Amino acid sequence: MKYIKTFLIIFSFTLIFIFLNILFSPKYATNLIEGSMISEYYDEEVPHDVIFIGDCEVYANFSPIVMYEEEGISSYVRGTPQQLIWQSYSILKETLKYEKPKVVVFNVNSMRYNKPVSEAYNRLTIDKMKWSKEKIEIINNSMLKDETFISYLFPIIRYHSRYDKLTKEDFEYLFKRKKNTHNGFLINTNVKPYTSLPSKKILSNYSFSDIDYSYLDKIVSLCKKNNIELILIKAPSLYPYWYEEYETQIQEYSRKNNLQYYNFASISNEIGINYNLDTYDGGLHLNLSGATKLSKYFSNILKENYDLIDYRKNEKINKIYQKKINMYYNDIRY
Amino acid sequence: MKKIKQIFITLFLIGVLFGCNYNQKQKDEIQLYEFEHNGKTMKLGEVFSIEKYGQPEDYTEVESCAFEGLDKTFNYGSYEVTTFSDNDKDKIYSIYFLDENVKTKEGIKITDSFDKMKKTYGDDYEKIDNMYTYTKQKTQLNFIINNNEITSIEYLYAVQ
Repeated sequence: MKYIKTFLIIFSFTLIFIFLNILFSPKYATNLIEGSMISEYYDEEVPHDVIFIGDCEVYANFSPIVMYEEEGISSYVRGTPQQLIWQSYSILKETLKYEKPKVVVFNVNSMRYNKPVSEAYNRLTIDKMKWSKEKIEIINNSMLKDETFISYLFPIIRYHSRYDKLTKEDFEYLFKRKKNTHNGFLINTNVKPYTSLPSKKILSNYSFSDIDYSYLDKIVSLCKKNNIELILIKAPSLYPYWYEEYETQIQEYSRKNNLQYYNFASISNEIGINYNLDTYDGGLHLNLSGATKLSKYFSNILKENYDLIDYRKNEKINKIYQKKINMYYNDIRY
Repeated sequence: MKKIKQIFITLFLIGVLFGCNYNQKQKDEIQLYEFEHNGKTMKLGEVFSIEKYGQPEDYTEVESCAFEGLDKTFNYGSYEVTTFSDNDKDKIYSIYFLDENVKTKEGIKITDSFDKMKKTYGDDYEKIDNMYTYTKQKTQLNFIINNNEITSIEYLYAVQ
């Protein structure tokens, strides 16, 4: 009897502790929705031939729905804000546990960062990831000096101060997720034309760091090992500046490793991008109109150069995609 | 007599306390890098206002991915001031020199020599690649040197 009582006390305490951890964690459902993107992937029902990895330059600029409509390509964007290269590597590893794409597209913008930048961005990428070896890897590689592993394991340690900031969202999305993206693409229909940008600063060193190269090597070998075509891209953007020195290094790396590299920033005219109409923040990211142009352009490249299935001919998958397409245009309307 | 003694002791202690506080304040002021131009002093981390520093020649807003708030850049021709958003206030984060027409408060400008920088600021710097960083509390003064010549000067504030 005594043991049962003790067990019940421990069990109740554990339940309450788990509940409080869930309650106090940010839900990223209606506010800071970028934090929810990583977990939406787990709900996917269709296979993806193309997986995008990288920072905001992928989730804002490539629309898998447009690519499907255009060429029947099934793709998913596993991008998160300021996703660092070691995070992209672990996210790719995690993705390969679920499926084996034919093509992986990596946006090289993160090569400019050789160390974690901010806890806030770490949290947006990590918080909603499922627990796995890869999540542990990302946490260990991304923590800043004031962060602790245990605060990722038990979010209440980090978020206990939210007790007076809990909103309706925290209760509404306690045990469910809100879908905010369309295969990882975040729609933004706003238009904020390019006017001017800060000056181009002189850097003390334009060389990508050893750590960045080592993770790029790891991505290359992971793709080779799994017989996946790796494509490097630089998404169109006017800022932060993509220096000539960066471009030279990526071109050199692609040549040495026999990889395809597309710098869409340098051919934005050919794609038809107009920075007066096709950006929502003055040239940093594309809006829906710009992303549609880029996605159409890129889907043509993929169709012509890679052996990808036209899923529009697969009844079962096409049915799921038709639902996705309806939701997409519904979200654009409202 | 005892009461008078007590009053004197109390006054003395208050004096010591205020004195310490004053000294600390003075010390804090000395411990930070700041930029002076046209008789106006810009302090890193301080709230920026156009009323105080004058109308810029150009103005740029850069949004961050995901988070609210803008990094605002005010171009004053020879230098650029970038602010960060902190509790709805724009605070000075960076002062970046664009040409040799402006000098640091201690008189160093772009095109000056590395030796002149060392003579002015000393050897207590941190060197990463060809960037030399002098730190005073939360403020930094960065110089980039190419071929013994200063090619870039930037004041930076360490945002928490």
